[in-house]
Amino acid sequence: MKKLINDPAHYVDETLDGLTLAFPSLVRDGAAGRVIRRAEGVTRGKVGIASGGGFGHLPLFTGYVGRGLIDSCAIGNVFEGPNIDSCVDAIRLADGGRGVLRLYGNYGGDRMNFDMAGEVLEDEGIRCTTVLGTDDIASGGPDEIGRRRGVAGLIYAYKAAGASADRGADLEEVTRIAAKAVAATRTIGVGLAPCRLPSAAKPSFELAEDEIEMGIGIHGEPGIWRDKLRSADAIADEMVDRLLADLPAQTGGEVSVLVNGLGATPQEELFILYRRVRKRLDDAGVNVVQPLVGNYVTSMEMQGASVSLFHLDEELKTLLRAPAECPFWRVD
Amino acid sequence: MELTVFQIAEGVSRATRAMAGLEQELNAADAKLGDGDTGSMLARVIGAMAASEPQAARSVSDVFGRLARAGMSATGSSLGTLFASSLLALSKQTREWERVDWEDLSGLLAAARDGMMARGNAKLGDKTVLDALDAVAAAVAGKVDAEGAARAAREAVDRVILEFRGRPCRMGRAKFFAEKSVGLDDPGMLAFAALTKAVAKIPAKRNLTP
Repeated sequence: MKKLINDPAHYVDETLDGLTLAFPSLVRDGAAGRVIRRAEGVTRGKVGIASGGGFGHLPLFTGYVGRGLIDSCAIGNVFEGPNIDSCVDAIRLADGGRGVLRLYGNYGGDRMNFDMAGEVLEDEGIRCTTVLGTDDIASGGPDEIGRRRGVAGLIYAYKAAGASADRGADLEEVTRIAAKAVAATRTIGVGLAPCRLPSAAKPSFELAEDEIEMGIGIHGEPGIWRDKLRSADAIADEMVDRLLADLPAQTGGEVSVLVNGLGATPQEELFILYRRVRKRLDDAGVNVVQPLVGNYVTSMEMQGASVSLFHLDEELKTLLRAPAECPFWRVD
Repeated sequence: MELTVFQIAEGVSRATRAMAGLEQELNAADAKLGDGDTGSMLARVIGAMAASEPQAARSVSDVFGRLARAGMSATGSSLGTLFASSLLALSKQTREWERVDWEDLSGLLAAARDGMMARGNAKLGDKTVLDALDAVAAAVAGKVDAEGAARAAREAVDRVILEFRGRPCRMGRAKFFAEKSVGLDDPGMLAFAALTKAVAKIPAKRNLTP
């Protein structure tokens, strides 16, 4: 497995340098340069949204800093949570005076460091709330949703909460919307080939040339089953079946669908997958609005895809349609 | 006999040297249960600790504090953060102490264990680094010198790895496929055991014959 890098130790920082040079709407900030925030600065009087997590998932997390989305992002090393200092910096840099929602995936390191950052900031008077992304149905049953990992569906929570904050909602309301969006999102992934961390001598897991793994995690965590590769339609069918068997408490018969590439799967194959996902949803009488097909949340060069369903009611649909702009997602 | 800043700094040096050989070994162990970077993460954290000049600390409390801050700046991973949190707990515990005796080590390790449990929400028996730390805390109880503590610690980590190998992981990423973790060593526990062995050096027997 080849990589176009200079030194594994500089992988994150050199990527962030390139990212911010390519997209001047993003700037590096924080004591160690491990926070991405909006170049235009914080909006006074708006609730801030800070996120963060391990690196290696671009465009998540840093790519979603922008209007109608999140305000700042703390960045860890590859597949490691951000350190406490970066979490503290990200929260401070998101604060416009009305409090900050911490919105990130359900991973131990991220939770510990954002929690400790909150303890550090207690004396500064910045009000904070937390909502964790828990959309991966392969990582826990319907009765243990709080245990589930957060994966690609987190971007729907960014979108809904970001739109709510842009409309001037207070911290409690933005937090309610984020939690509602998380509760309305379900994701499942499938892996065809592993990634390799820049510092590791071997791939993060082994998968035979003719095998796939259903339910694989965004860091290569083992999934539900591993078996021979099958057709895109058969894979899509199982993913949709599993997603529709795990419905949120409230559904309105409408969804946004995200067919997401994990890094090394061509866009063409994602469209082949989407074609079947769409047919299956049509057949099930589920109306699809604002579909997304592309690399939205990746895992280095992992080959595979995930499918997310964002179950909509009128409130979430309105927020999904609200204007937003970041380097990787634009809604007019 | 007492535990000194010099000995702790020497332990960090030994751990740094040991990581050169352990990095990929721990990555490989982590790849079976996690994302395969435990060795690289620990190499970076321990490297940062060594660079914090522990030998220049004013007290045992100060050296633990330096190491904790260096670790916290070097990573946000769960294992790295827990490791640094435990050192912070040791720094707080020893803040007013004029000296730290070897027989205090067991109590200090227990405080580190409790600090980790409070931060990470894991329990004893979950097959994590906590179980290894707990085993060492118990094993060094009553040891009054470096050699006795080192011997007990080394035996304890060997024992705890074997004891837990056949059990399922109940925390971390492996908790999602607990049954598959039976027969595998938890990477955090394995790292703790390897580093304990690197740090807890037993002096070679003196050759008494001329």
